[in-house]
Amino acid sequence: MYEPKIIAYLCTWCSYTGADTAGIARLKSPANLRAVRVPCSGRVSPEIIMRTFDQGADGVLVLGCHIGECHYDSGNHRTAKRLPVLKTLMAYAGLEPQRLHLDWVSASEGERFSRIVNEFAESVRLLGPANYPVKSWAVHNVELPWAQSEPLDSLGFDIQSYAMREAAIRDYASQLLSESRVSCVIGYERSPRGRLRPAFIYTPEDASRLVWNPDCTHNLTLYLSEKIRDGGRAPGKKPDQNPASIGIVVKPCDSRAIQVQLAEQQIQREQVHIIGVTCEGIQAELDAYENQPVSGKARLQKRCQVCSERTPVVFDRLVGGTVSPELSGTDSYRAVDAIEALPPAERMEFWLSQFDRCIRCYACRQVCPSCDCPTCLYERDDSLWVGPASGSGGVGLNEARTFHLGRAFHLAGRCIGCDECERVCPMDIPISYLNRRLAQEVRERFGYTAGLAPVPSPIVTVLSREEGL
Amino acid sequence: MISSSSGLNELYSVSQENLADWLDRIQSSAKLIAHQEVGGILLYQPVSDSRQIAWTEARPTLSSKDAFFPPTEQLFTIQREGNNLTIVESEPVGKQVLFGIRPCDAQGIKALDALYLETDPADNYYQRRREATTIIGMACREMAPSCFCTSVGGAPDDSRFMDLMLYRGDDHYFLAVITDKGASLLSSFPLKSDLLEAESAAEQIKSYIPSRLPIEIPNQEDWPASFASPYWDEMSERCISCRICAYVCPTCRCFDVRDQLYPSENGTQVFERIRCWDSCTGTAYRRIAGGHNPRPEKGQRLRNRFFCKYYYYPAQYGPVACTGCGRCIDACPVGVDITEALSYVAQRGSLSDLDRSGA
Repeated sequence: MYEPKIIAYLCTWCSYTGADTAGIARLKSPANLRAVRVPCSGRVSPEIIMRTFDQGADGVLVLGCHIGECHYDSGNHRTAKRLPVLKTLMAYAGLEPQRLHLDWVSASEGERFSRIVNEFAESVRLLGPANYPVKSWAVHNVELPWAQSEPLDSLGFDIQSYAMREAAIRDYASQLLSESRVSCVIGYERSPRGRLRPAFIYTPEDASRLVWNPDCTHNLTLYLSEKIRDGGRAPGKKPDQNPASIGIVVKPCDSRAIQVQLAEQQIQREQVHIIGVTCEGIQAELDAYENQPVSGKARLQKRCQVCSERTPVVFDRLVGGTVSPELSGTDSYRAVDAIEALPPAERMEFWLSQFDRCIRCYACRQVCPSCDCPTCLYERDDSLWVGPASGSGGVGLNEARTFHLGRAFHLAGRCIGCDECERVCPMDIPISYLNRRLAQEVRERFGYTAGLAPVPSPIVTVLSREEGL
Repeated sequence: MISSSSGLNELYSVSQENLADWLDRIQSSAKLIAHQEVGGILLYQPVSDSRQIAWTEARPTLSSKDAFFPPTEQLFTIQREGNNLTIVESEPVGKQVLFGIRPCDAQGIKALDALYLETDPADNYYQRRREATTIIGMACREMAPSCFCTSVGGAPDDSRFMDLMLYRGDDHYFLAVITDKGASLLSSFPLKSDLLEAESAAEQIKSYIPSRLPIEIPNQEDWPASFASPYWDEMSERCISCRICAYVCPTCRCFDVRDQLYPSENGTQVFERIRCWDSCTGTAYRRIAGGHNPRPEKGQRLRNRFFCKYYYYPAQYGPVACTGCGRCIDACPVGVDITEALSYVAQRGSLSDLDRSGA
């Protein structure tokens, strides 16, 4: 008979003692259960669980103290909030969510322990082995209805209005710099060859380099904390003794990334001077080499077609006086529903065939304004969370999956949907479909949308009274 | 019909159907790598049927270097039983045929040869793959805006590093046999084709080939003068320290070596030694034991990338490690452009020439 491998993470204070109690009472536990004793169920981070599956587990059980009885006060609150979201991600990636079970067992509940583990082992046995055979490089031809067919297919760009905003940005940046209210303005410029790129302006004269047009795709907030740390100094210059704040040009979506950074104390409000610009959307095919503003109708980027904001949510100065009516976007992609509608095995095959293209350039992470760990968990030399053998040819495909799913989870409730990760991916991995699914989950479960206000993601906070289990 | 006795540098006309049929026959006895659409992008990929081939002269997202230098490669396995250690070297795949290789990619292979093949000792893994590979090139009929092969000694129709060369005409392909290796592939797998009158065919091919004025490339001796310039810090301000530029590059060849546990049967312990691509633009590239990083600034890392391509590599191994394919320019998420760095160094170089001449 098929015997599943089951790993049980047991909190040392309650559940591990509960397992002892079951043993003393000579209650039967399944023989294929491997118990791992942990200080607190809150220590069992989603990365550990995903890694457990990657390394061959068929089921993972997490048992902690009952809510209100945690020996560290609120450690299990975090588990209670994280794991249901992780289950959604697992299901979305094609791994049956029933393979992960969270429950509470106190030290005296030997009988309860025995019942939970036996029921879980039986349910995993019925599910069968966790890993589907995957055909490497098999691109799954799922019909993905891209948002292109949304009614907001294209927008006429009004060149005049772009030019007016561009002039306003230049004037204001120049004014801020000449009054020394900011030490640097981060904005957009055209390279000598006409390519649009991030610009760092330090003198009022240089402000004339700033541009504003439908190519301004970059989310510049990714540079904020680095520039603040450097005291806004120009390259080769000494940092200012009393650094002024950093000026930054933001679109509505970018402004939400600032709210996330504020909520997470990565930056302080007074350290940044926000030049918010109203936005009609960014065009899909960037005008790479034409040194002139785009004209006529252009196709919008996918994210812009479902965007609901035209005005930044936080700013010190708003550029683009005549605010057009807010958009009616849904912030979600229909492709996400299409993936969700697939049978689990096909869902897994779809995602693995996407992750299989990954070449580990890590541009998705580097370009993300919310990926702000000094050293990425997945690249620490000491932990080897993902080995170097990821990507291409099926070698270490699990490693690529661990990285991408792990990164998506880290962004749950923190991703503001700028889709920069997807834009920069040289292998066109549809990363936004992971991020958007989790954003949707956090919205449904916690009523929270990242970046609308400077409050942290509900996934990293303790349970509120209403959420008490 | 072409056979091995056919003269080199003769031109043949061949139809796409015959080419496809020929490739299908080759595919049955060698690994065939060709242009393929994968998940919406164009890549050089193994194909099992000529119908999978994307017949295009567009430039694939990644170069063809991974046919010789894969992103991840197992070098050997180590098995431990009791006190016995068994080391088994991993043998790379057998014969492979690359079809539709861009001239910039072939030049990249040539540049890699200088290090991996022609510098003693040769790299076993690279050498085995290289020797078992026949390269069929395809001339470009368009140059992308970022292309600058003509500035670094290449050309859209450069056939120097190919075994066979194809040029797309209006209703057929032109085929040239460049090396004996190419000729022997034709003799093993005959290809239905017609011999053309060489001169007029060559004229016709020329009319399809785009041209572009070269950009300014600094002399090798110009580089040291720019080393301490503040320019690198300025131009790298926007760099996000990802590794795209190195991974899409046909000549970037740095790797990292690791040992790791290999999935194995119960009771035995098997480890594998692997090597995988690495990039000097990543933060951890130069980090050493104890955590010190001799190249902590983005400017230092990007500068290294450009110096490596145009100064260190030519000085150590001969060829310039840049073939002007322009992939790094197109792929860079934040618009870092190698040609800007080149023109900066060239201009500074000409200034220092003036200094030297006392002008």
